[in-house]
Amino acid sequence: MRRLDIGDRLLAYLVFAAAVVLVTFFAFQHELPREWHLPGSPILYLFGVVGTILLFVSLAFVITKRTGAGGSPLGWFSAHVVTATLGGVLVTIHSAGYLRYAPALLLLILLLLVILGVWARVRLSKDMAATFATREQSFSPPGSEDRERLARLIEEKESLLARLEPGADEGVFSPRLGHWLTRPGLTLAYAWLIARENKLLGVRSSVSTAQAYWRIVHIVLAFAFILGILGHVVTVTFFAGYVSGGEEIYWWHLTK
Amino acid sequence: MGKLALMIDLERCFGCKSCEAACKQEHRLGPGQYRNKVVWLGDASTGAPDFLTLTCQHCERPACLRACPVHPKAITKDPDTGVVEVHESLCTGCGECVMACPYSAMGYDAQGHHSVKCDLCPDRREKDLEPACAEICPGFAISFGERENLLEKAHEEGRHFRDHDHFLLKPQTIYLEKIARENGRVNGADGLMTHEKPSRPRFVDSPEASDVFEEKGPAFPYLHDKKTLQADRVVPGGCNFCFNCCTAKFHFQGDKLINVTGNDEDPVLNGKICPKAQFTLQLHHNEHRLEYPLKRVGRRGENKFERITWDQALDEIAAKLEVLRERWGTEALAMFVGTRTGLITQKGYARLFSQMWGTPNLQGTDPFCAAGKVVAYEVTHGINGNGNSYTPEDIGSAGMYLYVGDNQAETRPVYFGKVNDWRIKNKTKMVVVDPRYTATASKADKWLAIRPGTDMALALAMAHHIFSEDLHDARFCEEWVLGWERWRDFIFEKGYSPDWAEAATGISAEDIRALAGDVARADGCVIFGSRGLNQHTNSVQTNRAFMFVAAITGNWGRKGGAYVNMTAGPPIAANAPEHRRAKIGKPMARRSPAGWLSAMREGRPYPIKGLITCNNPLAQWPGQDDARAAFQALDLIVHIELFANETSAYADYVLPAAGGIEKGELGRTNDDRRIVWIDKMIDPPGEAKPDGWIWIELGRRLGFGDVMKEEYKDPGKFWDEMCIDNDFLRGVTQKRLHSVPWRWVRFPVASEDAPEQETLYLEGTTATGQPDGKRFPTPSGRLEFWTEALEEKFSKVGLSALPEFYSEKENLQGLPYLEYEHGDDDLEVISPFSKAPTGSRAARIVQPDKENLGQTLRRQGFETTLITGRPPAPHFHSWTHYFWQAQEMWPDLYCQIHPHKAQELGVEDGEKVRVETAHGAIEAMAWVNAGIREDSVYVPIGWGERQPYHPWRSVNFLTDIAQRDPCSDQTNLKSLLCRISRT
Repeated sequence: MRRLDIGDRLLAYLVFAAAVVLVTFFAFQHELPREWHLPGSPILYLFGVVGTILLFVSLAFVITKRTGAGGSPLGWFSAHVVTATLGGVLVTIHSAGYLRYAPALLLLILLLLVILGVWARVRLSKDMAATFATREQSFSPPGSEDRERLARLIEEKESLLARLEPGADEGVFSPRLGHWLTRPGLTLAYAWLIARENKLLGVRSSVSTAQAYWRIVHIVLAFAFILGILGHVVTVTFFAGYVSGGEEIYWWHLTK
Repeated sequence: MGKLALMIDLERCFGCKSCEAACKQEHRLGPGQYRNKVVWLGDASTGAPDFLTLTCQHCERPACLRACPVHPKAITKDPDTGVVEVHESLCTGCGECVMACPYSAMGYDAQGHHSVKCDLCPDRREKDLEPACAEICPGFAISFGERENLLEKAHEEGRHFRDHDHFLLKPQTIYLEKIARENGRVNGADGLMTHEKPSRPRFVDSPEASDVFEEKGPAFPYLHDKKTLQADRVVPGGCNFCFNCCTAKFHFQGDKLINVTGNDEDPVLNGKICPKAQFTLQLHHNEHRLEYPLKRVGRRGENKFERITWDQALDEIAAKLEVLRERWGTEALAMFVGTRTGLITQKGYARLFSQMWGTPNLQGTDPFCAAGKVVAYEVTHGINGNGNSYTPEDIGSAGMYLYVGDNQAETRPVYFGKVNDWRIKNKTKMVVVDPRYTATASKADKWLAIRPGTDMALALAMAHHIFSEDLHDARFCEEWVLGWERWRDFIFEKGYSPDWAEAATGISAEDIRALAGDVARADGCVIFGSRGLNQHTNSVQTNRAFMFVAAITGNWGRKGGAYVNMTAGPPIAANAPEHRRAKIGKPMARRSPAGWLSAMREGRPYPIKGLITCNNPLAQWPGQDDARAAFQALDLIVHIELFANETSAYADYVLPAAGGIEKGELGRTNDDRRIVWIDKMIDPPGEAKPDGWIWIELGRRLGFGDVMKEEYKDPGKFWDEMCIDNDFLRGVTQKRLHSVPWRWVRFPVASEDAPEQETLYLEGTTATGQPDGKRFPTPSGRLEFWTEALEEKFSKVGLSALPEFYSEKENLQGLPYLEYEHGDDDLEVISPFSKAPTGSRAARIVQPDKENLGQTLRRQGFETTLITGRPPAPHFHSWTHYFWQAQEMWPDLYCQIHPHKAQELGVEDGEKVRVETAHGAIEAMAWVNAGIREDSVYVPIGWGERQPYHPWRSVNFLTDIAQRDPCSDQTNLKSLLCRISRT
């Protein structure tokens, strides 16, 4: 099957185009009518809404990737790159340059997400490639102590797995989203055992800190962003008066 | 079906990286992408090299699979075969699996952003083929099959498995432990990777090394869709890179070469090839190839050219040659036609041209590589080369293998794979004598770290012990050796005992005695020698001394016993009719092109003003500063090559040549007399032309067309009609060569239906072309150690037919060395060892005094011995430096240096160092590794400053034009005093 990958060059073009659009917008913003200066004006409000919807494609990617629903995970990955970039442009325009208020933190997170994503894809992927054949010591005769600890850990995993997903083979099992939703306690316990096993395997300690943790940071930032967006939507919709600080509430809202 | 697995034998693997090349070729992987990788490791304290073929372990509990966050997983494990596979179309490239694999066996495609891994070649398995790595491995180190069967096979052979399941992942790939030697240790070390931090060459893994590939991806067919590249025809032929001369199969889609594999129908090489043969793909699809004739427009050396037509180029060259002949005479043209050009060019087209033009100065690379052993063979048994074969019944049946100055594992890896396999199967003893702990030495029962340049002392002392203990084969000596008693008496008289040799060689007398005893007592010992013996000023005498050891122990003219010093060149000799040959009025200036420099620079003994050269003399010839100065003095330089290199930059005309399957030619000469034919299968790139075409066209313009006929542009026709008219080759016709699917015939075969001979010179046989009953092709029919005729020959160059010990002028020990009676500027001595009249130099052996050169240099801080030589198996001289994958495997020029020496100098592994001799200086990356004598460093050949990926100055800036063997004109390239410093 043909891979739906976005190559480094295309990614660079995409990010560059986004940057050009934003620079152009803010360079000529002063020439534009007043509604382009107010984040809550109908047009910029619309930008914000559409941008947010586009950014939530990334959340859909996270879900489809872990559930198998929705087809090719790589297609969703590429969609998340494209929509996140477009969405980022739209919400940045939506901000109209208001950078001294709390929602600007979301833009900062967004920027970090983009930088981290692009850097991981373009630069860190080389480190991933260079990881091959770096752990020659794993082929030397093993010590017995670690193996005993691992054996105990695997026993624990097997016993827990019998309750989490009866009949599953521990050797090829890892919890899915469904497990987290239906049996969060057991899944958390199992995840804890996985983390302990990974530590014994040296999973993250065998590579650079950047390679080990970039994805975790990316996910954490993404969730922080989602939470932030939700907070922003709730406040401007339901606490419009608080947001306006006593000024005119010129955007669509439900309660003051 | 049972669970499938690979079984990797650490005893058989010698690190050639052929499996790596095969994997990238099979799966079209590009730079930085791996499914397998051969890691060079080593015991940091002893330097014993170990090689780890690192690939997926297809674990029962695959950590990679569990780490994959995608659902359904982008990595699966087949419940029947156990194969763990990555589904690239599902992989989002997050890299979790890469981190999760504790064996670091998960590759990653940094351009395509997805994981890649070994899947045991499902496409090949569907066709009942083994995975590419297993099929091609020259060392028979990788086996494939059902795991249970592999385990059973290993049990039957009494082999032990490595337990490397640190992580209880139940890895399914089997690693067979190295075989413990007598002392319970593996070659002085404790075995593979038992140390916490095995030594690993840092410069090989440096990120900068792979950065050079980023600009442009690799040429076709790498990174192309494998599924669209299916061969529609397969043509047998051969690899023409090195002297293993492997047969190969070339796979084409239309007219595009898409794969190169071994020839599985070959009864000797069994489909095994090394990485170089596979890099043929990168030779024929290469953006760096010369495609058009070029004419110099800048200063010589400036590398500025304009494109011209072939007609213009050849017309102008012919006109300039006419002027040169008019002004300076025909001998003022020199021709350097190395092995790159192919034997048909060297011994055919170029030879005809030189005869008709009238120059004696036609030479190839032999005086830099093998002239010493050629002369030694010729004077001892009448003809160059041994008479043995790499068959189980011959070399495979030996009772002992002794390698002296021959790193066969890296220089002829496919042959070595066979020898090593026989060693293991037959439990044959192997000893390696080498200043370096080479890949070959890593397989030996014993490594004797000899001092460079003192191998003759070892041979003499071995003979002393053999005679003293009456261990010689008296019957063989009496019946088949002339002058052996005289030699024995000479050795005794000189006192060349093991105790004497200990001081010179650095090998204990006890070890020398044991080695001599082992050789003498073995039921057949094959003594391998090579450049380590050849590239010295005592080349001929050292080779003879080892030949004598082989002979007195009966290891000559028998199966499983021989002295094998690499190639046995076939006597190809195209000749113009006598009446069409130009009169040659002067002898060849010198046998070695290094001896031509005086003629080029100073016009003495006579002027050489023009040079038609192939190969890359301005990296390859010794004394590069001198060579470049000499090239500046020439009126005309024509360079015929495949790639623009240092020599091109100095040329007036650069002519693009075809190579291998682009032209139709013979493979190179090899150890066991196989003449391999390579058909023309594709057109060369651009306007490049076969060498034969170029010589014929140039000859036509000079009026040689009646002999160098148009129809001889067909190399097959030229071969049949011009090259094989002698008792050795008459049967090696195109018809016979094409009658076998492996495309080779072993000479001598006097007629098309004459049977091939596995072993020559057996008792009761007659040597080819000799009267009945004459076993050896010497004047006496016996091996000749000493005769009056020989004594006369040797005395002409100041030596005796009885090898007397001397070493190199630049030595650390104060050993005897040669003083030359002549320079290169006269013709007072005509070599008694060359077939055509050739200028030579006489010398005398002198004992060192306080003012000798070695002393002086040591006082100046030149306290380390520089050894030069071949780099690891993926490289061979210049060509491979234009192939991205060879560069990826071994990128930078390196200087192997012992940790004690490095510590003394404050040099760290992977750091750049300056290496300086009395003749020049270069820089290289330090490889701090204990696999070398403490008093020596090693810098390989092949790198040049105009190469595209990792340019470095050639090691020949450090070598000397003057230090040459008076018998063979062979240059000393293996023992020069140097000093190392950080840069």
